[in-house]
Amino acid sequence: MERELWTLPGAWVRKVRDVTTVGDRLAHGSSWPRPLPLGSVATATKTRHWWHIDGTIARLAIRARVVLTAYFIRRLLLIVPTFIGISLLVFTLTRLVPGGPIERMLNEAAMANQSAAALSSGFGGAGGSTLSEEQLEDLKAYYGFDKPIFEAYVVWLGRVLVLDLGHSTRYTEPVWDIIRDRFPISIFYGVATLILTYGVCIPLGIVKAIRHKSGFDNATSAVIFFGYAIPGYVVGIALLTAFASELEWFPLGGFISDDFDDLSTTQKIGDVLDHAALPLLSYMAGSFAVTTLMMKNSLMDNLAADYVRTAVAKGLTFKRAVFRHAMRNSLIPIATSFGGNISLILTGSFLIEKIFNIDGFGLLGFESLVERDYPIVMGILVIASILFLIGNILSDICVALVDPRVKFGAAGDRGD
Amino acid sequence: MIELSPLARKQWQRFRSIKRGYYSAIVMAALLGVSCAAELLVNSRALIVSYQGEWYFPTYGAFLPGTTFGLDYDYETNYRELAARLIEEDRGDWVLLPIVPFDPFENDLQAGVYPPYAPSVAGGHFLGTDTTGRDVVARLLYGFRIAIAFALLLLACNYAIGIAIGCAMGFWGGAFDLLFQRLIEVWSNVPFLYVIMIIASVMVPNFWTLATVMVLFGWMSMTWYMRTSTYKEKAREYVMAARALGASNVRIIARHVLPNTISVIVTFIPFSIASGITALTALDYLGFGLPPPTPSWGELLDQGTANLDYPWIVSSVVIAMVVVLLMVTYIGEAIREAFDPKQFSYYE
Repeated sequence: MERELWTLPGAWVRKVRDVTTVGDRLAHGSSWPRPLPLGSVATATKTRHWWHIDGTIARLAIRARVVLTAYFIRRLLLIVPTFIGISLLVFTLTRLVPGGPIERMLNEAAMANQSAAALSSGFGGAGGSTLSEEQLEDLKAYYGFDKPIFEAYVVWLGRVLVLDLGHSTRYTEPVWDIIRDRFPISIFYGVATLILTYGVCIPLGIVKAIRHKSGFDNATSAVIFFGYAIPGYVVGIALLTAFASELEWFPLGGFISDDFDDLSTTQKIGDVLDHAALPLLSYMAGSFAVTTLMMKNSLMDNLAADYVRTAVAKGLTFKRAVFRHAMRNSLIPIATSFGGNISLILTGSFLIEKIFNIDGFGLLGFESLVERDYPIVMGILVIASILFLIGNILSDICVALVDPRVKFGAAGDRGD
Repeated sequence: MIELSPLARKQWQRFRSIKRGYYSAIVMAALLGVSCAAELLVNSRALIVSYQGEWYFPTYGAFLPGTTFGLDYDYETNYRELAARLIEEDRGDWVLLPIVPFDPFENDLQAGVYPPYAPSVAGGHFLGTDTTGRDVVARLLYGFRIAIAFALLLLACNYAIGIAIGCAMGFWGGAFDLLFQRLIEVWSNVPFLYVIMIIASVMVPNFWTLATVMVLFGWMSMTWYMRTSTYKEKAREYVMAARALGASNVRIIARHVLPNTISVIVTFIPFSIASGITALTALDYLGFGLPPPTPSWGELLDQGTANLDYPWIVSSVVIAMVVVLLMVTYIGEAIREAFDPKQFSYYE
């Protein structure tokens, strides 16, 4: 009896992935559970040899395209209420917090005053407000705390629309500049993870499907099962403990060494790779299992399909049948998750960046939350939300591109 | 004895035949039992004290002041010291201590040495202590209990909401379905972790508020699956037959549709539990979960990664997590296999 998860249809793996999202996505940091794009997955798994379309199907396809355009326009329009909903919620929350920027500043001023007073005369300051009422009002006006929440939100939204995210309360630099400084690191990790994941998972999935139940298949299955059960951040912590702390093969964290500027170019590349090895492995652990199994399962679905049998019966070599016919259809499910990468590229993971002390987008978000630096918190929320919303739509566009049978928002909208 | 339907019996047999999952389920059930009775195994209070002919059972209930046992203090008896003292006095009194005589909040400080203490059988700390001298075994076990309780609570709430709303969406359709479709579409686009972190930074959450927030952002996926499967089942002939016989909507849902969607629900349970544990641990690790000094795996992970010189902290919790999550996933695989026996026929 067959008893392994990876021999079940791809749809199952995907369903489970979607339920496990809370944990999985936590492992990836910035993501959140996402139900299937309306009506898409059901269609994406029923693979047939679609490019032999006759006239009727072609006409249907044209009609489907019109529906599709309407669907994507609706999706794009939905970004607006979603974004307003999220940002209004978080904006309100940040207003209700004790210990916001004003209190922080007052405390700092009081502490500075105290130590100065202690130095000069020996007794501390009053400990209360050391700023005049007028200064306080100015501060409140500066951060928009003098207005009611909704009014302040509208002002904030107006500024966001002209790409002004405000100033950090910690560094007094513009939020956008601070965020922009982190882009190179986040993009490096995002793109490297993307390339590695697809570069390893797709070939591995193909080999596993063709050599189903071989020794190689079983051996890799064990590794994959491990990656499937264990979230990326636990893998990261385990790797850090074993290879960086105990064996000292890799540095303990950071993006580059302190003496980076003194190194030659080849040494620089080596240094970056040395630092990147463990974090990249942990990032990969998150998506590795799901992508490989998806590839394997959908290829096996297709290998079992009649059109592959027909192709071989007509005299095609097995290799050609796999790579020219079955594989092309098998990539469809992979496309459903492609858009998710765009938000992963930029927002990375709170957890993995914290573990390896990588100064990227996720760590910035985490630190600004701890420090209650709300302009940065809101700025990151804006960018992360928009990237995620666009990523979702991008996924659906990818699916529609590789699979013309997909009908979003039409009759298929009812679930199946 | 509940009479199982032939199908359920077959599924149970199939589940049992998958040894990995079956044994994992047994071990997991045992672990659950152990964690429920954690006070009897890992606790600073003694199980039994026999003092001057009277027996005391201090494990549950109010604390016994030191004066009860002829000690010169009014606060809670230190049973480890009491045990040593009674042996010394040798008057036939004795104390039966749990296997690990430490509780998860207790800082067991030793004179002249700073914690963390390395694992040692002689010292009673089988996995060592954390940086403030709390026993790692105790923290792990009580942390597991909280995590699994959290995961089960999350599961129950998410599934109750998901099944109720999902069924209604699939069964009645129409405006109600459309409304919730849009709502789910919008709601699932919320940057989940980040928003929870923001909320947690605003109000220091306790067990219940954290669970509420997680449910608030976690009910959508089960709703979606239930909607789809109810919709499929509703179109089947047996529903039409039941309706023709005059069955009410409630009866059709409860007696006909729900039992047929049970496989969807059961299959997802282990994975939901795994994700609940992972989520709580991740939040605790980041410091936005349950407030200290709640015993938690995430907090131990955080301590461990901050103090890599003391590898017993991080390795115990990582190994515990790996073992538990692997077992839960094995169970999940076995259940899925038992409910979905689809075999592959493929080209050779």
